[in-house]
Amino acid sequence: MSEHVITLSDVRRYYVMGEFVVKALDGVTVSINKGEFTSIMGPSGSGKSTMMNLIGCLDTPTSGKILIDGEDTSGMSEAELAFIRNEKVGFVFQQFNLLGKLTALENVITPLLYAGVSVRERRNRAIEALTRVGLGDRMSHRPNELSGGQKQRVAIARALVNNPSILLADEPTGALDTKTGNQIMELFDELNSEGRTVILVTHDRELGLKAKRQIHIRDGKLEA
Amino acid sequence: MIIENIKLAFNAMRGNKMRTALSLLGIVIGVASVVAILTIGESASQSITDAIAVGGLDMVTIYPSAGQRNTGIFNEEFSTMLKRDVEGVDSVLPQNSSTARVRVGQESTNASIVGVLSDYGDVLSLEYTDGAFFEAMDNINRRQVAVLGADIAETLFPGQAAVGQYISLFRNQAKNYLVVGVLDKKDPTFSLSYNNTVYIPYNTYGQRFIRTTNVGAFVVKIADGYDTIAVSDVITEYLDDIVGTDGYSIFSPASLAEMADQITGTFSSFLALIAAISLLVGGIGIMNIMLVSVAERTREIGVRKALGASPSVIRGQFLIEALTLTILGGILGVLLGSLLSFAVTNLMEWSLHLSYASFILALGFSMFVGVFFGWYPAMKASKLDPIDALNYE
Repeated sequence: MSEHVITLSDVRRYYVMGEFVVKALDGVTVSINKGEFTSIMGPSGSGKSTMMNLIGCLDTPTSGKILIDGEDTSGMSEAELAFIRNEKVGFVFQQFNLLGKLTALENVITPLLYAGVSVRERRNRAIEALTRVGLGDRMSHRPNELSGGQKQRVAIARALVNNPSILLADEPTGALDTKTGNQIMELFDELNSEGRTVILVTHDRELGLKAKRQIHIRDGKLEA
Repeated sequence: MIIENIKLAFNAMRGNKMRTALSLLGIVIGVASVVAILTIGESASQSITDAIAVGGLDMVTIYPSAGQRNTGIFNEEFSTMLKRDVEGVDSVLPQNSSTARVRVGQESTNASIVGVLSDYGDVLSLEYTDGAFFEAMDNINRRQVAVLGADIAETLFPGQAAVGQYISLFRNQAKNYLVVGVLDKKDPTFSLSYNNTVYIPYNTYGQRFIRTTNVGAFVVKIADGYDTIAVSDVITEYLDDIVGTDGYSIFSPASLAEMADQITGTFSSFLALIAAISLLVGGIGIMNIMLVSVAERTREIGVRKALGASPSVIRGQFLIEALTLTILGGILGVLLGSLLSFAVTNLMEWSLHLSYASFILALGFSMFVGVFFGWYPAMKASKLDPIDALNYE
């Protein structure tokens, strides 16, 4: 049991849109083990984003139970969810979502700021993370001085720096050319082989198949 | 964390220099006017008090009314009585005065002739350019000696030493007086014009000028450590009992100074209140800019939340940004206000009394404005849904 880093049991997420109830996620039960490289695949509107938001603790389920690293997140307050996001989840977004006015180093330091890490340690850890993704020489650059691939590497360093239980990547190659995208995928592969749990959310079948395990979702339900 | 937030605030300001400057202007003008009004008010009141204080803030003068001339109360015994009955009275100096023609050779002028005891000079801390005040024996023996005010000496003895020479005072008949001292020039005040006065011994005056035991005025010196106004209030009560309110009048530079102080104080407080309203308007400007800032940075807020910023952290970030703005505006306002005060007091030839209380007041108020008007935008930022914020275009 302790191997499960994520457990969803009968998770539902309904949205009320005027008179309609949209069942974005409708009874999903799934577990992801520690160290797995899993892709969540499905067409747009299938519910994969909702599932990602729930795993990433950006959202809470209408019903059901979500355990992240053994902790039940249902019923958590905003502040508690923020704490879980900070400690256990590393996000990588399609649009990188770097903070434009900060340098690469400052961007990577940001999660450590919220974790309350000391000045010296957060600097050291951020340098280490940037070096790990191959950007040791770009630390004082701002996002607009970096290429798309480099931006995504900074984002990955930022996701890694707090040593989270899960790396949660949402279409991480969607804004990159094929070659750069492949390099980013190789980086995820490497990180996974170092023992990190990686979850890749994508609508791209070819990309999703690069993960070791696939979870298919359609209309809010898992496909066998 | 706070340091990072301040850095972020400066980052944000740098990114929108013009907008920041314009929204700061409201706070700067508000703080500057509060500081300037309080400082200029304080300087004005100080210069008035200074002018009054030349007459001696520890002095009270009692003038018996004309109707009291023959009641036998205001004679020389009164000095002893007052000193005995009222606590805080250091000394009571009787004095008589009138105006007379003073002549030396061809030069003559009108002067106020004041008959006082020999300790008058010490009690009033008079200073001399030459000679000294007359002695007790001069009074006892009714000697014809005189101490001259600076202007009289200058008129009668231009360019030469007056001490040792004679002046002639004319009252019924001319009498010669030996000059024993010349006073330093002293700024004239409401009560006394030292520069145009000739002091002669009290008894000499009594013999030569009035021939009565009634006293024209009593100069009361308040003892060290006593509040002049409080003691003068006691004297007032005391005299009311003896002669009634119409029997005398009392003059104290201290109460005059207090009155002047109150008037300028009330006036400048009122003006500062109006200026404070402009600070409030400045605060609304800050709220506006913070709302714009929150809206513009919705996506940033979403990212920060995804990275683990709790609502209170986000709220803190925007509150500190608003505070940084207003404190910066406050500091600039204090500088501008001081500069303005400097210019005005210079122009009016007042001495500048920077009102440090107004600095603290203005800075404190602008910080309050920062928190008060920054709160709503910061709350708004902290309550943003992370998913919506992340997807915000």
